[in-house]
Amino acid sequence: GLVQSCGHIIPESPVLAIGSNFTALCILNESCLDFGNIYASQIIWKIKNRVIPKEQYREINRTVSSVTFNDTSSLATPLTCNIIADGQIEQNIYGITVTVGLPPEKPKNLSCIVHQLSQLTYSMTCTWDPGTDTFLDTQFRLKYRWAQESFPDCIPTDVNNSCTIPDINFFVNVEIWVEAANALGKAESDPIVLDPIDIVKPLSPHNLSVNSEIVPTVLMLSWENRIGDPVMNLKFNIRYRIIGDTNWMEIPSEDTASTRTSFNVQGLRPYTEYVFSIRCMKEDGKGYWSDWSEEKTGITTEA
Amino acid sequence: LGAGQSIQQTYDLTRYLEHQLRSLAGTYLNYLGPPFNEPDFNPPRLARAERVPSATVDLDLWRGLTDNARLAANYRAYSRLLCYLRVLDGQVGTAELRHRLAHFCASLQGLVLSIGGVMSSLGYPLPAGPPAPPGAPLASNDFLKKMDDFWLLKELQTWLWRSAKDFNRLKKKVPPAVVTLRLEAREF
Repeated sequence: GLVQSCGHIIPESPVLAIGSNFTALCILNESCLDFGNIYASQIIWKIKNRVIPKEQYREINRTVSSVTFNDTSSLATPLTCNIIADGQIEQNIYGITVTVGLPPEKPKNLSCIVHQLSQLTYSMTCTWDPGTDTFLDTQFRLKYRWAQESFPDCIPTDVNNSCTIPDINFFVNVEIWVEAANALGKAESDPIVLDPIDIVKPLSPHNLSVNSEIVPTVLMLSWENRIGDPVMNLKFNIRYRIIGDTNWMEIPSEDTASTRTSFNVQGLRPYTEYVFSIRCMKEDGKGYWSDWSEEKTGITTEA
Repeated sequence: LGAGQSIQQTYDLTRYLEHQLRSLAGTYLNYLGPPFNEPDFNPPRLARAERVPSATVDLDLWRGLTDNARLAANYRAYSRLLCYLRVLDGQVGTAELRHRLAHFCASLQGLVLSIGGVMSSLGYPLPAGPPAPPGAPLASNDFLKKMDDFWLLKELQTWLWRSAKDFNRLKKKVPPAVVTLRLEAREF
């Protein structure tokens, strides 16, 4: 090019661990030596515009000067190699960017939940504690596999502590773990092994309807479950309150402990309007409660 | 996983696959169009359909097999059915159907692994060698191709229906892990 470079620094653009020591070398080109009458002894090292004390320099030979930092915490970008030839102004020979950070910590507290999205579709979202900031570009990958079958990694977008796997299969134990990697190293979380069927949050029951009965203290609820029987059996929570009242009452869970699509609520006040809501989860208690269904009202008949 | 848990999980998976296939097959046969999606369509089984493991068996013979032989037959059948299904999955024209087929294939792969897991937990060797590749020549016309697909889904439904019964029976024969431990403790 027009301007011939008179030297370079190695390493080129290092990534360094905070608190470690570091040495850089500035190597002058032989061609410049003859032309410019310049030697390694005339090199001045700078961080940004601050001159580094000469005690940290060492003249390796006629063309090479080194600078050493016992603790990279004082380092910043750029680190430059400059020279003052006889009677001339200071000339910049070369400069590098220096990145200082930490290796990734072992991701912790990995936990996952399967969300039912529709009658037949489910996704699994896993979250974890990514650990303290590394000050470096750190990539997280959610990895999962069956005993003899690996699946494509789930790579988080925009966040570093969560990933959603769009398609999940039930009834086969899957091993799940998180890998964190940056220029200074890699760390893996402890794996968890589970059957996704045991961490499902089902869609809430829908199409809830409330019908009065001949008996003035009874209302019959009916609804539709949105998770099919071969996937899981369900248990339910049913809550109700008198309209205008804020306190919810709940049907004893043992009364709604198995798959059903209706229930007779008894012991109600005659000729009173009640609000009902229902939620469900896997019958054996593994997994998560669904959200509460939409509320529906009904009135008991007169006594 | 203990044998009992492994069998229970495999049984649950088989019923889950049955449940998935019921709606998936309906969607796929609609994709194939008439006459394949007509309820009373019951074509003869062409010779070329033989390459797909037939689910039609003599029930007495089938029940007379040892658990090991029956599990091995299931393992081989699903390994081969999975191969054909993956071929199907690669040719489907609609993205939604392709996605559902891919999901089903993954679940079926899980079933093959699970059956293998059950066999290992019971101390049985896995059937040797990879499944026989789809042997028959590709269908020479579109109708025969659709007929192949029709028979594949039909046989798969029957296999799953019978496997659910196989695993349900096996589940009852193999006591849960706890009981097994107690028996061992008393050196029975």
